[in-house]
Amino acid sequence: MITKHDLERISEFVWQVPRELRADMRVPARMYADEELLDDALQDKSVEQLMNTATLPGIVKYAIAMPDIHLGYGAPVGGVFATATSDGVISPGAVGYDINCGVRVLASQLNAEEIRPHLRDLATELYSNCPSGVGVSGTVNLRAEDLDDILNRGSDWTLERGYALADDLPRTEEYGRIPYADAAQVSHKAKERGRDQLGTLGAGNHFIEVDRITRIYDDAAARVLNLFENQIVVQIHCGSRGLGHQVCQDYVDRFQRVVKEYNIVLPDRELVAAPYKSPEGQEYAAAMGAAANFAFANRQVLAFHIRRSFANVLKGHVRDFALHQVYDIAHNMAKVEDHIIGGEITRVLVHRKGATRAFGPDSPVLPDDLKPIGQPVLIPGSMGTMSFILVGTAGSMAQTFGSSCHGAGRVWSRRRAKKEIRGDKLRAEMEDRGIAVRAGSLSGLAEEAPQAYKDVSRVVQVVDAAGIGKRVARLEPLAVIKG
Amino acid sequence: MDRYTEIDHTADWAFRAYGSTLQELFENAAYAIFALEGALDAQSTLTREIKVEGVDREALLVNWLNELLFLQETKHETFQKFNFTEFSDTKLKATIHGAPAKAVTKFIKAVTFHDLKIEQTDKGWQATIVVDV
Repeated sequence: MITKHDLERISEFVWQVPRELRADMRVPARMYADEELLDDALQDKSVEQLMNTATLPGIVKYAIAMPDIHLGYGAPVGGVFATATSDGVISPGAVGYDINCGVRVLASQLNAEEIRPHLRDLATELYSNCPSGVGVSGTVNLRAEDLDDILNRGSDWTLERGYALADDLPRTEEYGRIPYADAAQVSHKAKERGRDQLGTLGAGNHFIEVDRITRIYDDAAARVLNLFENQIVVQIHCGSRGLGHQVCQDYVDRFQRVVKEYNIVLPDRELVAAPYKSPEGQEYAAAMGAAANFAFANRQVLAFHIRRSFANVLKGHVRDFALHQVYDIAHNMAKVEDHIIGGEITRVLVHRKGATRAFGPDSPVLPDDLKPIGQPVLIPGSMGTMSFILVGTAGSMAQTFGSSCHGAGRVWSRRRAKKEIRGDKLRAEMEDRGIAVRAGSLSGLAEEAPQAYKDVSRVVQVVDAAGIGKRVARLEPLAVIKG
Repeated sequence: MDRYTEIDHTADWAFRAYGSTLQELFENAAYAIFALEGALDAQSTLTREIKVEGVDREALLVNWLNELLFLQETKHETFQKFNFTEFSDTKLKATIHGAPAKAVTKFIKAVTFHDLKIEQTDKGWQATIVVDV
């Protein structure tokens, strides 16, 4: 096991795992944490998983762990690393099964007092309009050609079909469409899984929340994003559903068959990788892009249902029930990006597993109105606690390949949470605090208890203090909708 | 002998499956998947024949379990009895028995290769399996 004594302290919040610590590491690894979060990270094998990613061919600079790092499979959750597109690898296992799992935030013009009388009705309406849970079908009937169209064009398809407002797209990472996506690289099995899942939330840690902004940290950025104190906003957390899970499985299996041909030796078979430029690497990139487009479209259709729910409940009762999109971010992806490495602009493939893109001000990929402040970074906390909106910084560009954390990060196993927390009691506690809870599964609720997670405000504080993100707003929940 | 035991894992689920033979290990691992999801049904009312391949023994185990999850999700069925009609290190054929799925609340996204090793012990075979939930 790695201990604190093995690490070099680079600065107050940055710890380095020296490359020499293990013979197979090609670069060092860096962890962003304060002392307490570092202790959390060292309690299981997440650092070992981080070090495993540092062995991947073509990795540049260092592997990175965000302060919310926790044990995953293959790469740790909260892990970021970049491989050179020229001679580096792409790893489906390091992206994960829920490709483009991500977060979207919609903001209203309403304050908490205006919505409070309608909160319970709104929670019920959201729960019934946004299909959630296991094996639940969506409301959109897709023909085979529609599905291919979604996989190739993502949010563009949703705009054409009336599920999106034109302003939503520039406020979505990649404008909701990965350009190199190709439905032809997605298997029939994956398509079969996705066919009835568009516009569904799923289960596990996925949720919809109605929140209230309880603090603004950065007035200038908040103004650009049209955010204010006591404002009602909505968060959506979900991904590419069974379609993405199957794409990952297909390519993890396929890569197992060719990894030896490329002479790639790995400490964990789940990290299986192929050269980015190889036929297998290119096909996976196109399939991952397609699954990512499905996830963008999925969150867009859920946003449509949320807007519909707001209209159904609030029309005639409040002055304005419109919801504008603040941003939509992906947190399980590998993306081709240009970063400055050793003083030179280098094209790399940034793998983010449970980590968020956090591009700083003036990034050319941002729409003009966001250029002065940087890209919004949406950080959901554990259920019933708080969440944050940040923006990317020059520091994230310089230090972490334009990346930041993605959430609170687990500390308890699901088994322990189930043992120690009762779902009905947890729901009652949240209801007592004025939070409306609509959940399909009480044991599922227990597994997501806030005690099972790190303190998200601590995670975000480290991100802010280390300069790889800047806090803009804090959100606290009024209603939680879960599968 | 236990068919499987649950193991702590911070974010996902992990379990160790056992079997006196390799086939029994595969059977018990499949049973564990549906048991962990709380999806077992007392009665088997339907049967399917399936064929799975893998590059080696571990890959075959992962693909076998993932195939069952695929059927669960797309056909809305759960399975509890598994008979192999053909079985090698890289290929299997099985008759699986199950029922239309009850409303399950737990859901496994995928079975991973992480830390996966199929081992022969004094008592037979065992494998530690991490699944993404």
